[in-house]
This record gives sequence, C-alpha cells and structure tokens, in this order.
Amino acid sequence: MTIASPTPNTADITPSNLAQPRSKASYWLIAPGAIWMTLFLVVPLGMMVYVSFWSQTTFKIEPILTTKSWEAFFASDTYLNALWTTIRIWLLVLLSTFVVGYPTALFVGLFVKNKTLATTLLVLCVIPFWTSFLIRVLAWRPMLGKEGAINIILQALHITREPIEALLFTELSVIIGMTQIYCVFMVGPIAFMLGRIDPNVIEAARDLGASFWRIFRTIILPLSMPGVIVGGIFVSVMVLGEFATAAALSGRKVNMLGNIIVTQVGSLKWAFAAVVGVILTILMGVVVAGFLRIVDLKREL
Amino acid sequence: MADVLRIEGLGKSYGSKLALRDVSLAVADNEYVSLLGPSGSGKTVLLRLIAGFELPDRGRILFDGKDIATVPAHKRGIGFVFQNFALFPHLSVYDNIGFGLVNRESDPVIDPLALRSRLNAMVELVGLSGLEDRGVHQISGGQRQRVALARTLVSQPRIVLLDEPLGALDANLRTRMRGELRRIRSQLGVTFLHVTGSESEALAMGDRIVVLNEGLIGQVDTPDIVYNSPLSPNVVHSLNCYNLFAGDIQSGSFLAGAHSFPLTSKLHSNPSPAYAIRQDLISVRPSNASLASGEAGLTATYLASEYTGAAFMYFFRAEDGHIVEVENHLSHRAAQNLDVNATYQLVWKADDAIVYG
Repeated sequence: MTIASPTPNTADITPSNLAQPRSKASYWLIAPGAIWMTLFLVVPLGMMVYVSFWSQTTFKIEPILTTKSWEAFFASDTYLNALWTTIRIWLLVLLSTFVVGYPTALFVGLFVKNKTLATTLLVLCVIPFWTSFLIRVLAWRPMLGKEGAINIILQALHITREPIEALLFTELSVIIGMTQIYCVFMVGPIAFMLGRIDPNVIEAARDLGASFWRIFRTIILPLSMPGVIVGGIFVSVMVLGEFATAAALSGRKVNMLGNIIVTQVGSLKWAFAAVVGVILTILMGVVVAGFLRIVDLKREL
Repeated sequence: MADVLRIEGLGKSYGSKLALRDVSLAVADNEYVSLLGPSGSGKTVLLRLIAGFELPDRGRILFDGKDIATVPAHKRGIGFVFQNFALFPHLSVYDNIGFGLVNRESDPVIDPLALRSRLNAMVELVGLSGLEDRGVHQISGGQRQRVALARTLVSQPRIVLLDEPLGALDANLRTRMRGELRRIRSQLGVTFLHVTGSESEALAMGDRIVVLNEGLIGQVDTPDIVYNSPLSPNVVHSLNCYNLFAGDIQSGSFLAGAHSFPLTSKLHSNPSPAYAIRQDLISVRPSNASLASGEAGLTATYLASEYTGAAFMYFFRAEDGHIVEVENHLSHRAAQNLDVNATYQLVWKADDAIVYG
C-alpha cells in the first residue's frame, strides 16, 4: 500500500489532466452533429415507430395504440408484393451496377497510370449529375420507348423487325434507369481502393508467376473488396428507398415500398405509411449490417 | 565458375533521356555482386531490364547462355526483391511466402504437405519462425524484409535481384540485415545482384562491386581493389571517401586552380585529368609548416567538424573555394583542436594520391 500510493498520484496528474481540455473540445466538435442527428433522425425514427401503432380511420388518425396497420400490411398481397419487388429490384440493380461498375473502376483505378487522367475520367462519370434527377430519369423514356432511340436503331440495323415493347414501362426499364443513375456510386469507391494498390505488388505477383486472372482473384479483388462494400452500401440505401425512378419508368406499374409510402401519405394514411417506413428502415439496417459483416471496414480503410 | 548471367551492350532510353548507355557485365554462379551507383545512374533501370519488367533498346541479356530478351519476367527464373518489399497486404506471412508456389501458372505446388515442408524450411532459413500467421502489417520492417526475401527465394531462382533492399530499414537494422543477407545467400548458393546507393553497403556486401555512373559501368572488381584503386574519377566520386580535384597536368605537376601537386605515381589514363586523395590519408598541420620531400599539400581554412564516433570529419575550404574533407580516425590520431576560420596546411604523401590524365 505504502509503496503503491505515490504512483497513482503522479499518474493522475499527468495523462488524464492533460487529456481533459482536449476531450472537452472534442465534445464541442461532436455536439452540432449529435444534436442534429438526435433531432432530425433519432426522434423522427422513434416517432415513425410510434405512429405506426396509431389508430387510423379514413379521415382521422388517433394516438390510440393498435396493431391493425401492421396486420393489414402482412395480410395484403399488394404490400407483400411491393416488399418482394423492392428486394428483387435492389438485388438486380446491385448486381448490374457491380457488373457495369467494376470493370469501369478497374480501368480507371488500375489501368490508367496517369493520375490526372484517372481523376478526369471519374469526373466524367459524375457529369450526368449536373442535370436534375427528374430529367435524367425522364430522358430514358425517348430512349426506351416503342418509337424510342434504341428501337429505331435496332430496326434500322435490321436486328429486330418489330419494336421491342418490353423496353419501357416494365421492371426492365426501372432497372436500366437505376443502374445508370447509381452506377457511379459503385465506380467511385472501387476505383479509389484500386488506385491505392501499390503497382509493385501486382508486378511482384506477376514476377512470381501468377496469371492475370490469378492475380485478379487473389490480389486485386480482395484488396478492392472494401470499395465494393462501400459502393454496395451506397447503391443499396438509395435503391431501397427509391420511388421516383420506379414511378416514372414503369408507368406506375412497378411498386416499390417507397411508392407505397408516397401513395399512403398522399391519401393521409399516416399510420400505414409509418408501418411501411419502419419495414423499409429495418430492411436497410439489415442490408447495411450484412455488408459490414463481409468486410471489416475499420481495418481495411 | 560459370557465368550465369551475361549482359552485352545493353542500352535503354526514355524519350530523349539516356538511362543506360552501353553496359556489359558477366555475373558468375553463386556470387554476391553489389551494384553501386548514385541515383540517376541507371542502376534500377539495369535491374528492371534483367528482371524483364522492361525491354532494352539495344543489347542482349544471356541467362545460362540463352538470350532471354523475349522471355517474360516470370519465366526467366530470376527473382526480384522490391525496394518497398511490395508484400501482399491482405495475406499472412505464410501466404505471402507461399504465393508464388501456389499461384504460379507453370507447375504450381498443389500437394499441401510438400508446400508446408518447403514453406517451413524457408521460414526457418530467414528466421521468421513463430510469425507465420501474422499479417504483414503486424511485423517489423526487418521482418517484412525477410518475408520479401523468402517469397522470392522459395521459388528457387538462380539469380535474385535486390533493388536497394536495405533502403527502407533504419540504420542499426540495416547493419544486421547485411550479415543476414550474406548468410542466407551462401546457404542457398544463389547469385545475388544487389543494387545500392550506399558505398559502405556495396563494399561490405559484395564479393564483387560494379560501379555504375551515368549509364556506364565504371569498374567491376573486388571491394578492396575498387576502394584502393578506383579506375576513373567517376568511380572515385561514387566511393564518396576521396577528395577529387579537376585540373591539368603540366611538366610533372598536377595543377588544380591555384594548387600544384607533384606527380610521383603513374597516371591512370582518362580523358579528363583529375587528382584524388583519400580523406583519411590527409594530415592537418599548422599553416607555417613546410612540406617534406615526397609530400604534397595545400593551405585551407578550417570550417567545421563532424563527430562520427570512431572518427572526426574535418571540413576545410581551399583558397579556390574547393571543399576538402579530412577523416581523422581516433584510433590513429587523437582529435585535433582546430580553430574555425584559421588557416592550416593539409598534407599527404604524394604517392598516396591517384592521378588520372
């Protein structure tokens, strides 16, 4: 006891006291973000869960707790179908953005040696974002329509005789539109990770006798995985919450959870919209958590 | 000993910049060759040409008597150790070392038992036992160097090219790894071609030293011969332990600016005359001291000193502005008490100088 007593004293004075002003400052730094997130994310989320249990009549909503809205959701084929449609479109768009985005990122991040050129190419990917979302989506209509650009070209080249009607106002057109809009969110993070790979590492693998595909599978793909995960999270969160592209390119035939929310809010069915909102939020949470399980981003980045 | 590698008239330019002029070299089997050159001398280019990462503009590279100009890098049987090690960051020590054996296109080692025994032997040889499962970021710089070496050696190349392998290590580790590199090499009997910018490293490591300067080979010989009788002023410059004067030879004297040194030893033929005297062969005397016969000298102003532990480096400025460095080994001579800005006589035996002309 007597021997040990002087040490804690000195230890108390030096590190913790020195650290204190710094931690106070760091609280001030975190405060705006924390307050903002509490007021505009945590509270509304809690509110949404709460409202989803309110009683809804045709014109009125009352804070009397009931599970009727939840029962209605799971009893209705329309709503369950919307859930499956959302999951299906999400998976297909995720796949197509990866299939289109990864080779692009591979080219930009690895094969373009000139850093300025690589940055320029990435900026080119972002140029469509200089126009508004709605215009980007609607621009697909004259492209994909029955008398649209693609059908005209296909017929002019005598590849098809009749116009392909399935191009527009189908799930396919929704997927095409979403892939175009969200692909860049896949390309960016992957290109970033690929650009960080030391060229000597690939040269070393080559010198040790591995073929290009071997190097891709054993070195390039694993090292770019964090980029794929980050891109996947970006695309997933945006696609799962989508409603505008689905409505505009499917002629309101394809209904995702987001479309259901829009319709329900439009007809003042707040409790029901809240149920769908909670389900959508849980779905996103599960998806993001699932992605984060694949790769330990804290370690890789 | 048979030559395992022959280089004949190798040249390489990048645009208008001539990186390698005309390099010919023979490297024997089971030999440690160090390649000394300042940055920009073309030493890394030479190494990359031999490895096959780049193609020469002119000349031939013969490996075991066969021209390997068109053979891709990984089929040459030549190992390469990168300056920054270039380890696979996501793989363990064990998987880094085994990468080549498992993933090479021709004749991969598939049998897990055979793989394990080869890898274990290699891990033991380079002294990494117990670290097999660590990630390459969880080990020290010296250990990473060993992984890089083991990864190359495990494929049993005839020649290993090392591009400034000790450059990324801190000083005391560098000295330790020198011994390790020599031990590992002699145990395996492979040929090492070790590129370095450090003259002490080149002298310590090589059975032979190749001095490269401005894309040309200045000298190829054993370390003591290169150190004691450098063939040209360029080689002298690379060794970094001589004072070098440019000047003219006239009637038995070497004239360098205001100084004149008597010529006693024979001349090494060279297009541009130069006079070299090793830094540790110069003694410092009071300015009024006279030269004995057979001595050469000049008067210079003392500027500063640098203590290196076993020696003092003294820096003087000669009358024409030339900086003269004197190395005073404390085992030979006690430290001298010199006054800054005072004038002294720097004296050496005329026979010790090496004169080119």
